[in-house]
Amino acid sequence: MFRLFFTPGWFNGIDLVFNIVSLIIALFIAGYTWKIYKVNQDNKYCYFSIAFLLISISLAFKAFTSSVLYYAPIRDSVLVALAPAVGPKLKFADLFYRGAFFMQMASMLGGLLLIFLISQKSRERLRKLHEVTQIALFVYLVLLISVISNFKFVVFYLTSVVLLALVVLNYYKNYLNTNRNGNAYRVMLAFLLILLGNINFVFVSVSNVLYVFGEALVLIGFLLLLHTYHRVTRVK
Amino acid sequence: MAARRSRLELIFDILLAIQNKGGKIKPTHLMYKSNLSHKLLNNYLEELIEKELVMIEEEFSRKKKKSTKTVVLTDKGIGFLAEFRRMREFTNAFGL
Repeated sequence: MFRLFFTPGWFNGIDLVFNIVSLIIALFIAGYTWKIYKVNQDNKYCYFSIAFLLISISLAFKAFTSSVLYYAPIRDSVLVALAPAVGPKLKFADLFYRGAFFMQMASMLGGLLLIFLISQKSRERLRKLHEVTQIALFVYLVLLISVISNFKFVVFYLTSVVLLALVVLNYYKNYLNTNRNGNAYRVMLAFLLILLGNINFVFVSVSNVLYVFGEALVLIGFLLLLHTYHRVTRVK
Repeated sequence: MAARRSRLELIFDILLAIQNKGGKIKPTHLMYKSNLSHKLLNNYLEELIEKELVMIEEEFSRKKKKSTKTVVLTDKGIGFLAEFRRMREFTNAFGL
C-alpha cells in the first residue's frame, strides 16, 4: 500500500474525524464569503470563497485516501471500482494513491496561495487582468510542487509552512490595521495554529507522534475559525 | 484623505442615517447626513425604493399648508443593515 508516511495506529480514524470537522468549517466560510460576493460582486470575495473551497476539497481527498487506507471494506470497494482500469493484479494501485495525494496537495497549496494573495491588501490586486494572469505562474508552481511532493512529502509541508507564515504575517498587519480587533486577532491566531500544525508535519519522519500533535493543532485552528465565524455572524 | 466609499457603503450610510433619525427622515436632512449630492441621493433612493429597503411617505402639514415627503426605513431595510454589519465584521476579521 502506498503511503506518504506512517501514522500511529491508535490515531487511525481519529484523524479522519478531525479532517471532516475542518472540511465542514472550511465549507461554512466558503459559503458565507460566496454570499457576500453575491451581494457586492467584488472579485476578492469570490477568490476567498474559492480558496476555502479548495481547502475543503483537499481535506476531502485526504479523508478519502485515509479511509481507503484504514478501512478494508472501503478499500475493497475502491479496488473493485478500479479493477477495470488497473487490471486484475492491481499493480498500478499506487497510481490511484498518487493521484489522490496530488489532488490533496494541489488544492491545499492553491487555497493557501489564494488566501495569501487576497490578504496582501494591494488595492488593485486581483482586479486588473495582469494581476490575475500572474496566478497562472503560481498555478504552474503549485502543480510542480504537488508532483514533486508525491515523491518527497516534506516539500509539500514546507511549502505550506512558508505560505502559512506569510498569511499569518498579513493577518498580524490586519490585526494592527483594524485597531486590534478581537475577531482579526482570532483569525490570526487560528492561522498561527494551523502553521504550527504544519511545522509538526514537516518533522513527522522523526517521530510519528508529531502527526498527532500536528492534526490536533490544525483542528484547534479550524475550530477557532468556526468560533470567529460564529461571533461575526451573530453581530446585531 | 479617506478612501472612496463603495456603492454598498453608500447604501449602508443612507440606511444608517435614516435609522439614526428613528427610522424617518426628510430627504434634505438625508442628503446632508449621508454626504451626497441631490442627484446622487435621488439615484440611490430610487434603487432603495425598488428593492423595498425604504419607502416614501407623504404627510400633509396644516401649518405649512402643503404636503412634505419623508423617507422611511422598512423592515427589510433594518434587516439589510444588520446583515451589512455582519458582513463588515467578517470582512475586517478576515482582512478582505
